[in-house]
Amino acid sequence: MGLKKAFLKLATIGLGIGLMTSAALAANLRVLAWDGYADPDWVKDFTAATGIGVDVVFIGSDDEIWAKIKGSEGQDFDVFAVNTAQLQRYIKADLVSPIDITKLSNQKEVLPRFRDLSQVSGDTKDGKVYGIPFCFDSIGLIYDTDKVKPAPTSMSVLWDPAYKGKVLAYDNGEHNFSFTALTLGYKDPFNLDAEQMAAVKAKLVELKRNVLSFYTTADEAQQIYQNNDVALIWANYGQQQVKALQKIGAHVAYVNPSEGALAWLDNWVISKGVRDNAAAEQWIDFMLTKKVSGELSERTGFGNTVVESSSAGSNDKLVWLNNVEDPLKRSDMWNEIKATP
Amino acid sequence: MSAGVTTQPAERRLSLLVTVLAFALPVIFVLVPLAIFLVYSFFSVDQGTIVYAPTLGNYVRFFTDPIFLPVFWNTIVLCVSVAVICILLAYPAAYFLTTLRGRWRYALLMLLLVPLLMSYVIKIYAIRSILGLNGFLNKALVAIGILQQPSTLFVFNMNAILLTLSLLLIPFAILPIFLSLERIPQTLLRASDDLGASGLQTFLRITLPLSLPGVASAASFVFVLAIGDFLTPQMVGGISGFTFGRILYSQFGTAYNWPFGAALSVALAIVVICAILIGERFGRSRGTSV
Repeated sequence: MGLKKAFLKLATIGLGIGLMTSAALAANLRVLAWDGYADPDWVKDFTAATGIGVDVVFIGSDDEIWAKIKGSEGQDFDVFAVNTAQLQRYIKADLVSPIDITKLSNQKEVLPRFRDLSQVSGDTKDGKVYGIPFCFDSIGLIYDTDKVKPAPTSMSVLWDPAYKGKVLAYDNGEHNFSFTALTLGYKDPFNLDAEQMAAVKAKLVELKRNVLSFYTTADEAQQIYQNNDVALIWANYGQQQVKALQKIGAHVAYVNPSEGALAWLDNWVISKGVRDNAAAEQWIDFMLTKKVSGELSERTGFGNTVVESSSAGSNDKLVWLNNVEDPLKRSDMWNEIKATP
Repeated sequence: MSAGVTTQPAERRLSLLVTVLAFALPVIFVLVPLAIFLVYSFFSVDQGTIVYAPTLGNYVRFFTDPIFLPVFWNTIVLCVSVAVICILLAYPAAYFLTTLRGRWRYALLMLLLVPLLMSYVIKIYAIRSILGLNGFLNKALVAIGILQQPSTLFVFNMNAILLTLSLLLIPFAILPIFLSLERIPQTLLRASDDLGASGLQTFLRITLPLSLPGVASAASFVFVLAIGDFLTPQMVGGISGFTFGRILYSQFGTAYNWPFGAALSVALAIVVICAILIGERFGRSRGTSV
C-alpha cells in the first residue's frame, strides 16, 4: 500500500516535471515587444491563468523589429508589436498571419473607435485583420494656460502672429507636412499631390517665421520651455511630454486639434512562423483585458484601446499615422524650408 | 646556437607583424571608410533603396540646387568667425599662462582644459540655458541695467551658434598657442630687451611672429571642429541658424539618402582638408624660418 502511494507520488512528480519542461522548451510563447508592453507581472498572471510560458524579447526601434522578424522570416517569434504605419510592410512581405477576431472575446469590449478594425487604417488587408490595436498616443498641442487664451482648438493657432517667437515645433519634415495638410483641410495628409505639397511648403515657411526653434527630444523642448517665453508646443511626444511639463510645475494643458490629431497606434500581430496560434490569440486577448490595458496607461502614460485615457477623449478625431507618399521628397522640402531666409 | 637561429626569424616575424599592423590599422579604419563614402557619393537612391549605378547626379545637385551652396558658404563664414573669436580670446589667455612661473602655469592650463572632460551635449544644454530669455546672461544684463528687458538676441539664431561654438572650442585654441609661446627661447626676449626694445616692440617683433605657427594650427583645429558640428546648430540655432552640418545630418537620418549625404560629406571633407593643409603649411614655413 505504502509502496503504491510512493509510486503514485513519484509518477505525479515525474509528470509534473515533464509538463514543466515541455512548457518551457516547446510551448513557450515567444513575444517581441517594446519595453512597457509585456511587464513581468502581466507575464506571470498570464502564465498562471493559461499555463502558457512566455519568453519576452524587448526591442528599441522599428528597424530592429523588422530586422528580427524579416531575418528569421517570422520563425523566431509568435507574436509581436508593431505600429499601423509599419504593419502593411509586414503584410506585403508575407511575415504575418491573419487574425480571427472571433477568438478574441475582449476585442468586442474595446472603445468604439477600435471596434470596427476595417475603419482603422493599416490594420486590415483584403478584408482580413492582421493587427489588433492596443496602445496609442496622439500628437496634440500643448499650450500654456496663462499665456494662451482662449484655449486653442486647432493647430492653426501655431501661425497666430500673437505668439510669434513663442512656438516650439518639431524638427521632422514628414510629420510637419502631414499635420499642416490636416490644418489646410486636406483629406489624406499622407498622400499629397504636387500642388498640395507646394501649398503645404509655403504654409510651413510661414510657420517657421512664427517659431522660436525646432526641437527633437522631449527633454530638449522642456529645457527650452523653462528658459524661454514659450506659449505653444507641437507635442510630438504627446502625453509623456505634457506630464513631464506639469511635473515641473508648468501651467500647461493638452488638446487634440479639431481638424484631427496625428496619432501612432501599436498593434499585436501574429507572425507567419507562429507555433501555437491559440496561445498567441490568448496572449492578445489577455492584453486587451481591462486590468492590463488600464495598467498599461497608468504605467506608460499612453492611451489604450479598452479604457478611456487622457490621450484622447471619445469625440477627439485621431488620424493614424501612415506611410507617406515620398519620405525623401518631404525631407528635401523640409531642408528647403529650413534654408529659406 | 640553435636557439639563436630559431629566435631570430621569430623576432623578425614579430617586427613584420607590428609593421603590418601599424600600416593596416589606419588603412582599415581611416582610408577604407573614406574610400567607401567616396564611392557611395556616386550612387543614387530610388524609393528608399540605394541604386548601385555610378552617377554624377549628387554633385550636379549640390552645385545647381539653390539651397546647398548658400548654406555651405554661410557655414564656412560662420566657422571662420568662430576660429577668429577663439584665437582672439585664447591668445591673451595663453600668453598670460606663459608669464606664470612653475607649477601654477600647468595647474591653470589643466583648469582651462577641464571643460573637455565634460559631456559635449551637457555643455550645450548648460550654455543654452545661460543664453535663454530667462537665462543667466539676460538676468545679469537686466540687473546691471545694460538691458531694459530680456533680449532674444542670444539664443536660437546665428549669434547663439557663434557664441556656443566659440565657448566649446576655446580649449582647442589655447593649447597649441600656449605650446608655441612656451617654446620661444627666453634668450631672444632678453636680447631684445638688452638692445633697447620696449615690451610692445618685443612682443610685436619677436613673440607674435614666433607664435604664429601655433595660431595657425589653433585656427585650423577650431575651424575643422566647428564645421563638422551639427549638434550645436541643431540645439541653439533655432530657425535662422541652419548650417551645412544640419543638412548633411538630415540626409543620413530622416531622408535615408546616404549617397547624397556622402557627396555632401565629400564637399565638406575637401574644405576640411584645405583648412588643415593651410594651417599646416603656414605653421611649418614660419617654424623653419627661425
